[in-house]
Amino acid sequence: MVGIDRRLLQNVDWPLLGATLGLVILSASTLATLHVGRAGGGVALRQIAWFGVGLVALMIVASIDYRRLVQIAPLLYVLGLLTLVAVFVFGRTVSGARRWLLVGPVSIQPSELFKICFVLMAVWLVTSRWAQPVGKTALVLAAPMLMVPMALIVKQPDLGTALLLLPVLIALLVAAGLRLRLLGGLALAGLAAMPLVWFVLREYQRERILVFLDPLRDPLGTAYNVIQAKIAIGSGQLLGKGVAGATQSRLAFLPERHTDFIFAVFAETWGFVGCLVLLTCYALLLLRGFDIAASTREPVGRLVALGVTSLVATQVLINVGMVTGLLPVVGIPLPLMSYGGSSMVVSMMALGLLLSVRMRQFQ
Amino acid sequence: MSRLGYVGTPMAGRPDPGRRRVIVMAGLVSVALLVIVCQLWYLQVLEGGRFQEASDKNRTRIRPIAAPRGILFDRNGLPLVDNRPAFTLSLIPRELERDPAARDATLGRVASLVQIPFAELQEALTRIAPDSILPVRVRRGLSMDDVARIEEWKLELPGVIVEVEPQRAYPTSRFAAHLLGYVREANDEQLKQGRYRRGDMVGQSGLERLLDEFLRGKDGGERIEVDAFGRQIRLIQSTEPHPGAQVVTTIDRRIQEAAEKAMEGLAGSVVVLDPRSGDVLAMVSTPAFEIDRFTGTIDRNAWLRVIQDPEHPLLNRTIQSQYAPGSVFKIVVAAAGLQEGTLAPTDRTNCAGQFHLGEWTFKDWKEGGHGSVDLLDAMRHSCNIFFYEKGLKIGGQSIAKYANAFGLGRPTQIDLPGEKLGLIPHPKLRKDKRVGGGWHAGETVNMSIGQGAVLVTPMQVARMMGAVANGGVLWKPRLVQRIERPEKGVVWADGGTVTGHVELSPVVWAFLRQSLWSVVNEGGTGVAARIPGFDVAGKTGTAQMIAKSRADKGQDHAWFASFAPVRDPEVVVVVLVERGGKGGQVAAPIARKILNAIFLEKVASIEIDG
Repeated sequence: MVGIDRRLLQNVDWPLLGATLGLVILSASTLATLHVGRAGGGVALRQIAWFGVGLVALMIVASIDYRRLVQIAPLLYVLGLLTLVAVFVFGRTVSGARRWLLVGPVSIQPSELFKICFVLMAVWLVTSRWAQPVGKTALVLAAPMLMVPMALIVKQPDLGTALLLLPVLIALLVAAGLRLRLLGGLALAGLAAMPLVWFVLREYQRERILVFLDPLRDPLGTAYNVIQAKIAIGSGQLLGKGVAGATQSRLAFLPERHTDFIFAVFAETWGFVGCLVLLTCYALLLLRGFDIAASTREPVGRLVALGVTSLVATQVLINVGMVTGLLPVVGIPLPLMSYGGSSMVVSMMALGLLLSVRMRQFQ
Repeated sequence: MSRLGYVGTPMAGRPDPGRRRVIVMAGLVSVALLVIVCQLWYLQVLEGGRFQEASDKNRTRIRPIAAPRGILFDRNGLPLVDNRPAFTLSLIPRELERDPAARDATLGRVASLVQIPFAELQEALTRIAPDSILPVRVRRGLSMDDVARIEEWKLELPGVIVEVEPQRAYPTSRFAAHLLGYVREANDEQLKQGRYRRGDMVGQSGLERLLDEFLRGKDGGERIEVDAFGRQIRLIQSTEPHPGAQVVTTIDRRIQEAAEKAMEGLAGSVVVLDPRSGDVLAMVSTPAFEIDRFTGTIDRNAWLRVIQDPEHPLLNRTIQSQYAPGSVFKIVVAAAGLQEGTLAPTDRTNCAGQFHLGEWTFKDWKEGGHGSVDLLDAMRHSCNIFFYEKGLKIGGQSIAKYANAFGLGRPTQIDLPGEKLGLIPHPKLRKDKRVGGGWHAGETVNMSIGQGAVLVTPMQVARMMGAVANGGVLWKPRLVQRIERPEKGVVWADGGTVTGHVELSPVVWAFLRQSLWSVVNEGGTGVAARIPGFDVAGKTGTAQMIAKSRADKGQDHAWFASFAPVRDPEVVVVVLVERGGKGGQVAAPIARKILNAIFLEKVASIEIDG
């Protein structure tokens, strides 16, 4: 049902949108200090433009009843899989990874868009009548739904995005009432399968894990990013170095500084206090998401809200954890902060779903 | 979570396990965020200082700028030695890894990249404070390949840099090697004196050593900000290097080159002096060593080869080798006799090729002798019999006195280290010795022709010839005219030093010059040095080696001591060829080549230019 009801507008979650706007402003101002690519604040302006596109996407998504979207989830899921396959056929290769599809003037990242499709599909599956009550049958049905896209995305290779799908699925299963004993058994099985995963990983991915375990293993090779990021963050100290003094970022010691490692740039520039502000924005955003999920008694709505919230939460935690040296390096952008059109639009769509659920909570 | 309470109105009171699980998940995420905040507190507040330091280290580099060593010029302003850029591998202790294992890994990589023993690198670091920002030079004269390899691994070699430093460049590999001397890193003994830092280039011989404190400049440096790729972003601070002083020597590069060319393939030495000032115009000792090979890194075997070479290439034969003067010494004997009145130009002797003294027989070099000769003839043909006979009459005591007056047996006081004094035996000093230890008349006989115990250096002979040419002034051989600093002008100058006078009457000087002219120009032994139309005066000498075996026969040292032009002498040329044979046959033609180069080729070139 397209078109916005007056009653729905009364229930728009303004704090959620406020936190989002705050993050986007921090993102654009951080990007403006980095002279990446074209001269001047080109990246920052483009990020703002993508935010505009994302805002439109958010409004469209919010205006549609999420139950309609879950109904057509299998279709979206199959379409998503097709675009993932298309990447291998028409995809653009950047630094060894085929992740992008050229559509007119913009290159889009199907694996990003697929995350939304996956959340909806998982909700559809968990709430479908074949999966009731949520137990072994649900697990059996969920397994291929997870494995097929994961395999496709790992193949690109984009390990980070592929890894996101698992926690989202687990969160949905748990919230839908999966018995924890069953989940424990699954976890044990997963642990047992870990050595197998090791062989599936590519050489550089293994190296990243080894470097995480032993940072001095190769200080100027794989560990270079981590060490330089730590230096950037640490040297920001309590109040930060300011824009002019952030030498780690300005002098390009930081790799991927406008995308995956943007948190380190921010931390160097604004210090511990700035990081607290940034993390508070994320905490606000995520807790609002969990609040929406918890307060929605309608099962599909709750699961949609939880799905997108856990998707954003996992990205934030993995990205910041990786940049601060708590986790091994996997390429995951920081939602709303990292530069990237697909990531921005997808994050906004996820927030649109959250708003949609919130608005329709009391219908 | 404050608003969680208001939900659930539609089905209030009914159990909702899903809601509880969502709240637990929110709790887990909150805990994870708190862990991140703790990590940030640790990184930014607790360890912030350390990372700040690491960030500064990332950002700034010290780039030392070596001061160019002063340049040595010849008397006409031509460079004798110059500087060219060379690559040096250095370690900056402060920028090396702090963790010993990681540091050793870096050193190990360097060791394998440029083939330096690992221990050598470690040792280099033990000699300097670990937080020093000054580079320790590890290896000089890197090849372009070495430099390329280091640059390629640059990101993985923190604290390892390649510096560009000026290094000595010579016109040719062996040019004026003994005079200039070689430059090398300060050795342990020099470091102990405290005047040098490790890795400093120090003059180790010749003028480089003598004038080291003038030639050495003061190193400068730059502190620069760099990006992740080591590219310079900004200059933070800069200290200019002060180049070393410039030295104007007395050497004439053209003459030095001509003399070296004339001595090619022979062992011996050439000294060219200006008798009017004592200026050393050329100083050649052959065989010479490859001066440029000593500057970089010379391996042990190459060093041993030079040290153990039977020809002793490191020896500066002009001042460090002593020879019997042979017939050149007859100048001294003639001067002594004429001045003391024990010899007259008209005295004659019949030379039959043999001279008997008691049971001893002394031979002339010419089979059958020279017939009836007077003093002029005896000088011209270098008749030994005449000098045996007259030498006895003049007396050993008197000969020794005049030899000393001409500076023989005494230091020339040249500024180079390691000068030998030569030896003039004194009969008086041996008189009161026990029986058999006194002076024998036979020794006087030998001394009269410059044999026996008499020993001189080529430089002493040159100074003596200078006195003959200029009428008795003994100059200290001068090597350096002045030293100039770039901004301060002349900081040191040498106007020449007279070290003694030989007192002979003008008639005696005139006779000596006349007879020496006759040696070259009137069919004497020095005829090979004759240049038609140009008056050269000289005396040949053949210093006999005491023949220990048949193989040593004919292994005499060939002398030729000369000056020109006779009327107003401008140069003294002394040539000594070791194991060359007869002075007139071997040494005189070399002197002629050198004199030709000095006078005739110069005249020719002026005429062509003019």
